Amino acid sequence: MIVSWNWLTEYVDLAMTHDDLVDRLTMSGLNHEGTESVGADHAIDLEVTSNRADCLGHIGVAREIAALYEIPLNIPDPQPATSSETISQHCSVVIESEVACERYTARLIRGVKIGPSPQWMQDRLKSLGIGIVNNVVDATNYVMFECGQPLHAFDFSKIKEGKVVVREAKAGETFEAIDHRTYQLGSGMCVIADAEDAVALGGVMGGADSEVSDSTVDVLIEAAHFDPLTVRSAARKLKLHSPSSFRFERNVDSENLDWASRRVCELILDSAGGQLLEGVIDVGSPPPSRQPVNLRYSQLQRLLGIEIPVDFVAPTLEKLGLVVESSDEESVTAIPPSWRKDLTRDVDLVEEVGRIYGFEKIPDDVNVPMSASYRPKADRVVDKVRNVLTAAGFDEAVTPSLVPQPWSDAFSPWCDSPPLISSQPMLGVLEEYSHNIGTVNLLRRSLVPSLLEVRRINDYRSNVNVNLFETAKVYLPSNDQGIPDQPMKLALVSHRDFFAVKGVVEAIVKELNPMATVQIKECDEPLLDASQSGELWLGEQRLGWMGSVSASAKKQFGLRADAVIVELDLSILEHQTQLIASHLNQSQFPSVTRDFNFIMDEEVRWASLESTIRAENAPLLESVKYLETFRDETRDGPGKKRVLFSVVFRSNEATLTGTEAEELCNRIIANCTSAHHATLVG
Amino acid sequence: MSIELFIEQLEALAQEAGKAFSEAADSDQLDQARVEFLGAKKGRLKSLQKNMGAVPGDQKKTAGMKLNAVKNSIQESFESAQNRLSSASSDGQRDVKFDATLPGKAFHVGRLHPITQTINELKDIMGRLGFTPAEGPEIEDDYHNFEALNIPRAHPARDPLDNFYLSVAETTSGNDIALSGNPLLLRSQTSTVQIRVMENTQPPVRIVSLGRVYRPDTADWSHYPMFHQIEGLMVDEDVSLADLKTVLKLFASNYLGDEVPVRIRPSFFPFTEPSVEADYYWDGKWVEFGGAGIVDPNVLRAVGYDPEKVSGFAFGLGIERLCMIRHQITDIRYLFTNDTRFLHQF
Repeated sequence: MIVSWNWLTEYVDLAMTHDDLVDRLTMSGLNHEGTESVGADHAIDLEVTSNRADCLGHIGVAREIAALYEIPLNIPDPQPATSSETISQHCSVVIESEVACERYTARLIRGVKIGPSPQWMQDRLKSLGIGIVNNVVDATNYVMFECGQPLHAFDFSKIKEGKVVVREAKAGETFEAIDHRTYQLGSGMCVIADAEDAVALGGVMGGADSEVSDSTVDVLIEAAHFDPLTVRSAARKLKLHSPSSFRFERNVDSENLDWASRRVCELILDSAGGQLLEGVIDVGSPPPSRQPVNLRYSQLQRLLGIEIPVDFVAPTLEKLGLVVESSDEESVTAIPPSWRKDLTRDVDLVEEVGRIYGFEKIPDDVNVPMSASYRPKADRVVDKVRNVLTAAGFDEAVTPSLVPQPWSDAFSPWCDSPPLISSQPMLGVLEEYSHNIGTVNLLRRSLVPSLLEVRRINDYRSNVNVNLFETAKVYLPSNDQGIPDQPMKLALVSHRDFFAVKGVVEAIVKELNPMATVQIKECDEPLLDASQSGELWLGEQRLGWMGSVSASAKKQFGLRADAVIVELDLSILEHQTQLIASHLNQSQFPSVTRDFNFIMDEEVRWASLESTIRAENAPLLESVKYLETFRDETRDGPGKKRVLFSVVFRSNEATLTGTEAEELCNRIIANCTSAHHATLVG
Repeated sequence: MSIELFIEQLEALAQEAGKAFSEAADSDQLDQARVEFLGAKKGRLKSLQKNMGAVPGDQKKTAGMKLNAVKNSIQESFESAQNRLSSASSDGQRDVKFDATLPGKAFHVGRLHPITQTINELKDIMGRLGFTPAEGPEIEDDYHNFEALNIPRAHPARDPLDNFYLSVAETTSGNDIALSGNPLLLRSQTSTVQIRVMENTQPPVRIVSLGRVYRPDTADWSHYPMFHQIEGLMVDEDVSLADLKTVLKLFASNYLGDEVPVRIRPSFFPFTEPSVEADYYWDGKWVEFGGAGIVDPNVLRAVGYDPEKVSGFAFGLGIERLCMIRHQITDIRYLFTNDTRFLHQF
């Protein structure tokens, strides 16, 4: 809301400096956003919160100033002279839709002479940046910016049969507005119609046909209370936002309709002449009665944390327009003014008294009681995971939760149900390259596709060694009516090879639980390469998936080079995490290490070979380390490979003798031979 | 060749090598000696090793062990000579071939996203002030996102065009959202977590919740349809605006690393009364910090608290804003593009 300094002086004596005024207004709820000089005037831009429609007019702002500076407020009392003819002889108003319009008043001025509005009025409107039209339209605008009540002036000769009907728009009804564009109306919109057609869109915009022009002689003045929701949805649907719709959306003061109507008539008579007909048409519901509010003084100290002198309270409420009904040592009871529908409870009055007294007087060094906080396990687990990943050279990404259809379809290992759909798409979140991929309106069921897009962007920008991770929720629809499952996942995308990335996964698991080992099982995910991929398990729990991106998926995601992806369930990791490690005694004796080199069939999997090696050898077998695989078809024949590994033996009780080590080795050789037809080399 | 002869040759070689290494006056001479004795192809140890083939089969094992022992001892005397010469260079002899100004072997330490870094820091500060992190769902229902927060049906914040309401693919088309009942949506603020925590906890409550929130703004330099918020809530007997101001001042001073003045000025939010906007004074001007206030009695009643017995404050801040100001990031979209060159700066 822009207010004019000069205009304000009509209601309050501005003896303070501009800077002092805007500071006080800021600190009492009207945030100062800036001031510009317009001629000899200052245009002061104040931010008005949506509960303070009363400050969308100069009088409201002046009332705040009067309360803050404890100075008198002078509000005009318009009493325009009327002729003997009465309005009801010429005009009638019917409200057909009480939902859209709770009260409608009309006055009629006959015989006006349209011309320019007075200079003082033009100056004030110009300070606000409002365009100048003529002495009638300017007067309606002037009163709107004076008291916050939007008004409309019709050329009465265009109102057929002098009949005004406030009704809901009919389906397919069209309407030409003052901007000379034709709008398609729909149900739920409120129109002002005459005996035949819509002449205005209630609270939003007047019609081109009934607009006041140079030839207008008789003027019908509308002062009404339109429903905020109706006005908002119409203004929004038709993209017709105006100072008038802005005010109706925030609720106007129904009890002030008559004042505003008289005020505009007075101004029109002053500058355009004519005769105001006797009487006013006033239809609809009278405003509801206002209930008194009781404020206990003890609430001020309790909620504001400062003591406010009791004798400050009632006068302040009165300055703000409340009528004090009674007061005693403990409390005050007052009826709020019609323009403050937001004041209904004691806590509302606490704010009023507090803000006029000054929030700056509230201390910022009180003793807040101590309280111990703790870090949830989930947070500690994620921190550990992030530590491993950054140590492994992975950078963290944050990507949008909504994805287009092709990405959603590309990978959804956690759930088969279709994704949740958002009513609104996310706009502007895709790079130009990806603009045609689809509407970004699906809640992602995996983080992987988003990371592949990040990888593509980085490849395109020639960034090398791109290793990224993200931790975020995925959204898994469920059949029941409740809130869908939204588990936290961890996803990785890497330039490194499969085993380098698998090593990172293993390091994460070891960091969280030194005793846990990751198993991998075959999987069938089209996004992933058929062999270089698998489902990851921790014991009986499925941890996630990993794999190299398949050739077709690389093409789909525009990747130029290979990529390995991982997606893990953080809740499983959390479940497996041991935040407090346990000590095991270390053997004091030296270990014995033996290397083995076996020839075996290609089909033998390391995991199965390793369990054979370990079989029967606990507790003397300390560790098994895979070394290398060789292939030499000329020496070993087709379909064969040589697997090298080393085994460490150690006893807790004594140094192992050569014979004992020999025995252990022989058992390994025998077991591998019988279980895998493996032959020991040399 | 007899084993005795082989051993004799080995021992002679060891002696000779030891002498050569210990007499080497500089690293060049030592290197020459190394090539002579330990050279991989034509070194004398290598040639002597070939003689092992001539040792009788049953003595090969002994010969092998001796060979290893000698090999080790020659290696040791080489290393001790090397050590001697390198410590000698500290006496003023610098090896020009060693360029200490060459870069170290690079290894990349990954970076946490600047949003995460900001979140961690805020969580940390609030943790020190006794606020425990609380989590809540990002997909919320109308009740927790609006109703329980005292945001009436007619409030502009509930306009379907301003929210990501959700539907399931099979039952409804994306545009056909049933707004009756308790529809689901992506939460538009983290205040929803307040409700969920208070529904399940008796006062006193002191929590901080952080996370993603969603509003359908078209992405531009200062807007993104997804962003992050931090929300603090403290409910106890007689919690007032003075407690709020004190906590905000500690919070801001801690975050900015210097004692900063904080002010609160009246504002409006449906879920707080009184509502305030908090600013901190930095670089000669007041900077908007975020919204706050005393929890509205309607909100307390909605979760089953008695507003006559307890009161509380809540505050909410936009994390992107704090992060962007702190790191001088000029476009919010950089945060979500994840160019690694961008990420490596933080």
